[in-house]
Amino acid sequence: MFEQFKDWYENRHEYAKKWKERTGGKVIGTFCTYVPEEILYAADILPVRILGSHEPQDVSEPHIFAMFCPFCRDCLAQGLKGRFDYLDGITIAQSCLHIRQTFTSWDLHIPVDFTYYLTHPMHIQSPRAIPYLTEELKEFKKAVEEWTGKEITEEDLKRGIEIMNTNRRLLQQVYELRKQPNPPLTGLEAMIMVVSSQMVDKREHNKALVELLEKLPSRSLDEPGERLMILGSEDDDTKFIAMVEDLGSRIVIDEHCTGTRYFYEEVNTNGDALASIAERYVKRIPCPSKDWPERTRVDHIVKLAKEYDIQGAIVMQMKFCDPHELDTPAIKKALENDVGVPTIFLEFDVTVPIGQFKTRVEAFLEILREEDLF
Amino acid sequence: MITAGIDCGSKNTKVCIVKEGVVLSTASVLSGFDQEESAEQALKSALEKAGIKREEIEHITATGAGMEAIKFSHNTITTITADARGTYSIFPSARTIIDIGAEEGLVIKIDDKGKVKDFGINEKCAAGAGAFIEAMSRALEVDIENMGELSLKSAKQIPINAQCTIFAESEVVSLIHQKTLKEDIIRAVHDAIADRNTSMVRQIGIEKDVALIGGVANNIGFVDSMNRNLGFGLLVPKDGVAPEYVSALGAALVAQDKIGGY
Repeated sequence: MFEQFKDWYENRHEYAKKWKERTGGKVIGTFCTYVPEEILYAADILPVRILGSHEPQDVSEPHIFAMFCPFCRDCLAQGLKGRFDYLDGITIAQSCLHIRQTFTSWDLHIPVDFTYYLTHPMHIQSPRAIPYLTEELKEFKKAVEEWTGKEITEEDLKRGIEIMNTNRRLLQQVYELRKQPNPPLTGLEAMIMVVSSQMVDKREHNKALVELLEKLPSRSLDEPGERLMILGSEDDDTKFIAMVEDLGSRIVIDEHCTGTRYFYEEVNTNGDALASIAERYVKRIPCPSKDWPERTRVDHIVKLAKEYDIQGAIVMQMKFCDPHELDTPAIKKALENDVGVPTIFLEFDVTVPIGQFKTRVEAFLEILREEDLF
Repeated sequence: MITAGIDCGSKNTKVCIVKEGVVLSTASVLSGFDQEESAEQALKSALEKAGIKREEIEHITATGAGMEAIKFSHNTITTITADARGTYSIFPSARTIIDIGAEEGLVIKIDDKGKVKDFGINEKCAAGAGAFIEAMSRALEVDIENMGELSLKSAKQIPINAQCTIFAESEVVSLIHQKTLKEDIIRAVHDAIADRNTSMVRQIGIEKDVALIGGVANNIGFVDSMNRNLGFGLLVPKDGVAPEYVSALGAALVAQDKIGGY
């Protein structure tokens, strides 16, 4: 049922190359989920998210500090190794310092036709953030138009919004099914489904989601075991997720920018397109690098914990990711004290020491199952 | 009702045999390439000491890093649960447990019923564990059993700054070259390991009483370093079960529960 998503996830580069051949269109690599893909779809460009490969690498050291997060180094390594050689351009929306370093280093060392650094407000809680971003989006749109030589009309923007919104709505519908006592999909399947949406043409992804939604409700899996949440920065550690679920638990919800933070909110379709896009990206569930001075994300996590009836949460901390680490004590406290959900904190690198993590996760599950043991 | 707990550690495999909640015997062998074979040997030795037959063992619970290799066990539990169960049976007043083995240090918080509330593991770095002391004992040409006593003779504080076993070892070598006294170096080694572990204890949170288990708890010099760091005395198993067998004891007690408790 999830073969198509898995195939896209595993063969992302082949997919993008074939897409180019087939459509003659341009492909842009995006860093960070603050990039307004609506505008790229409006220009008939395929946005693909640049993610790492979870393999040890030895090429990024001269270009990015060893104490920058391993994910950002892994992303740069993909570029340096030529795995994204089909890209016509790259763009980033300003977020954390580390991924910005990946972007600027990529820009310096890996030639592409088009690069754009989208200045995105950091103080998104300011009432001036939406007008600020709207102006920046105008500039971004203009730059894309100049590059492609084609005007992006209001109609084009509406079309871009529709493609993105449909994808968000369909993913949301699948996630609704995860609230069931026995969700018809595993956490691993959900992860691959959402991550693959960031790699392929959303129109195709939407079709696959519609088909999936027809079949999913009648699917029945084994008893889910402990209902878990995973949360943190980006995360496509499929090996880790598979290990956790193989131990007899089920991940039913995530709070990652490769998951819910990516698709949770839609763009308002009444009113000026660019202003509506700006509103969505300012008001979306924020990355902790922008969630300041109020920490709105913590309340959102608690809300998810209740809605999805979770019994435990795995805080997946990417090593050296300061914005996320700063949030961890508040998240831990909120989950443990406000909703009585035990948490486990794990520090991730791009390669996962599966044996060590297994001991920790097993012990965590033993705590959740303690009634049977004592 | 007789049960056995097998703790398949990264360095040694320990067995504890328990009857109606009381320890009958313990035995330990080096963990070999074939962990199941090592477990068999340790079990055989413990059975001989207890003077009982294999058939009398009703349930075997395995724990430790290599627990899955022990195919003849009836079930497995993680070190965290085994430590909690074993320590609580010896020290019912313990609320924090520090377990320092050959290759990992862990801290466990338990409640007044012995249930695990939280835990932390340091297994990314050997500089906080027994393997480091072993490497240093080789470099200093001192038997590992004598490290503790020798270090107590020192009153000097020499910091070891490196966070990594290999670099820490090179610092020790520098100290040797500077003709530093052996006992001062040994104390520095113990202090360095204690620093790493007390730092982890503080992160999890100190709740008294605090017990220290695992093979490294046999090292009186190290215990002294820990006590100095924390500013109070740790509970260390003395009579009956030695510190390195607490995990195996915990597994044997869980095995007792599995067949209906004692």
